[in-house]
Amino acid sequence: MQRILIANRGEIAVRIARACRELGLTPLAVYSEADATAPHVRAADAVACIGPPPSRESYLDIDAVLNAARTLRADAVHPGYGFLAENAAFARAVTAAGMTFIGPSAEAISVMGDKTRARRTVAAAGVPVVPAVEDLPAGAAAAQTAADGLGYPLLIKAAAGGGGKGMRIVHQAGEFGAAREAAAREALSAFGDGRVFLERYFERARHVEVQVLADTHGATVHLGERECSIQRRHQKIIEETPSPGVSSALRERLISAAVAAARSVNYTSAGTVEFLVTDAGEPYFLEMNTRLQVEHPITEWVTGIDLVQAQLRIATGAPLWLTQEDIVARGHAIECRVYAEDPAQQFLPSPGRVEFLREPQGPGIRVDSGIAAGGEITVHYDPMLAKLSVWAADRDAARLRLISALRDYAVMGVTTNIAFLIDVLQHAAFASGATHTHFIEEHLQSWRPDRCEAEVAAIAAALHSMLAPAATTAGGHQRRAASPWQSLGGWRLGGGER
Amino acid sequence: MQITYRCGTQSFPVTLRREARGPLTVTSEAGTRAVTASLPDACTVLIVIEGRQHLAHVIRIGDATHVWIAGQVYILTPNTAADATHAGALAPPQIVAPMPGKILQVLVQPGDKVGEGDGLAIVEAMKMEHRITAAAAATVRAVHVVAGQMVDGGVVLVELDYDAQ
Repeated sequence: MQRILIANRGEIAVRIARACRELGLTPLAVYSEADATAPHVRAADAVACIGPPPSRESYLDIDAVLNAARTLRADAVHPGYGFLAENAAFARAVTAAGMTFIGPSAEAISVMGDKTRARRTVAAAGVPVVPAVEDLPAGAAAAQTAADGLGYPLLIKAAAGGGGKGMRIVHQAGEFGAAREAAAREALSAFGDGRVFLERYFERARHVEVQVLADTHGATVHLGERECSIQRRHQKIIEETPSPGVSSALRERLISAAVAAARSVNYTSAGTVEFLVTDAGEPYFLEMNTRLQVEHPITEWVTGIDLVQAQLRIATGAPLWLTQEDIVARGHAIECRVYAEDPAQQFLPSPGRVEFLREPQGPGIRVDSGIAAGGEITVHYDPMLAKLSVWAADRDAARLRLISALRDYAVMGVTTNIAFLIDVLQHAAFASGATHTHFIEEHLQSWRPDRCEAEVAAIAAALHSMLAPAATTAGGHQRRAASPWQSLGGWRLGGGER
Repeated sequence: MQITYRCGTQSFPVTLRREARGPLTVTSEAGTRAVTASLPDACTVLIVIEGRQHLAHVIRIGDATHVWIAGQVYILTPNTAADATHAGALAPPQIVAPMPGKILQVLVQPGDKVGEGDGLAIVEAMKMEHRITAAAAATVRAVHVVAGQMVDGGVVLVELDYDAQ
């Protein structure tokens, strides 16, 4: 195994390319016509275009990706997360083409990818599952009766889904019919499968997940938990490890349930078992993500284990080189996802060109970035710009380090959630560890940027228009034009007493 | 040099004056103060006001100036007379697509009465459904799109006549 095709884009493709290089492997990239100059393309040794911008015609097109893999003489395919990462047909097709799929077996993907089969399989292995209606009757009236029987609030979820798409919360019987139709429509468009099922919904639950790693020889270890309760639109935006709400007794239950869930499908590679923990401290299995997780960096921070390198080594057939006793978590890590979206407008995506970019750096700060200055955020893909994660000795030190790094993060041209993330992290309830999946609705419902420095901003704008040459007025071109300021050096106006 | 910027609904008048052989002064709502400024590069302004240093990144996009300070971005536009009269205006009567996408459903017809928060249309963009709602009670004057249609961001979907209040 030498040449690794990365069937993805954005920050995760860049991150996988890095791990390949560190192990002496050759990273190969695929890209859509919208991504010809994207950072993940620059990170590879050989590249192939796989189609037009819409993901269904490029990153989700199994034939196009496999053709690229053959053309680039790939030995193995890493799917990243999203796109084809949890597509059993893709995993099967990669193997049938004589290449190694870097991930679990197609069978494990297919069991865990079908939410109802997954529930039954892990329940049989003794893992607690959320009360649910798995087989929702097709007729509107029968579906309504089934929903009423389960009780409210309840959650409608896509059977083939994930990532918050095709998901609806229903608080009372009267909302159910319309919500079911919308969820089914969204599921059909996102996953090509409109089937939905129902689960009891717990208002103040925490989202806690356990990272597992398993080799092809039957060894399974866990790498501790991550709490991902801070969500908007049912998508995580802040994740941390360890969880501030998990006692050592609960941790033991979560870990043994996660390992049992992984073993129930003979899991291999890196995977994540997600649980909901009610405010009474009861854990319930939600789903298993049969892939690398977006928030894997925080586990890497505290364990020192590179999860992508681990996936690559396991894919070669190597037995696990770590025992459970070797894996010791140290300190605290928090990650936040930086999105091109407007938190003051229901987190609507904010497509456009990134006209200015300066990412934070410093001790204990990691930026997994998929964009560059001048890059275009299009409507075709997820609007995540980057993941910012930090490590520190304890939770509050990590929280303060992350706030400080966010205050040093400059993105202009697209609206981002950076100021919102700062306010979440500064909130007293977050600082005290009182996190739950409704945190944003409860504490930051009608959030607006505070604009406390607007007057200084106006002074800066006036000074800039007085001092900077007219050449900088055309947005987006100033950084590419030769800058007179570099040759002149910094000069000061009005400095000193004379 | 005198200029008034608008940021959101607020106005910020700024006057920069250089006294003969004296320091540069800035007059804003906070008063008149001495200011020192430098441009380390074309997109960066370092300002010292009353001993406190501020780092700002500044770019211009169209006629707007975007200023970054400490994790926040301020979008400033020159305050014209026309802007001033619109500053306190109510919700816009033209409801536009917030971003490019596909119209999944149109929920109203011309002549319909809608209340605050009532749905007008459902737009799919970036694989998510977005419900476009009325900001206040109104009568639908016109509908410009049909289900299935692709629209660009800013395209007028529906026009409303808000009820007199």
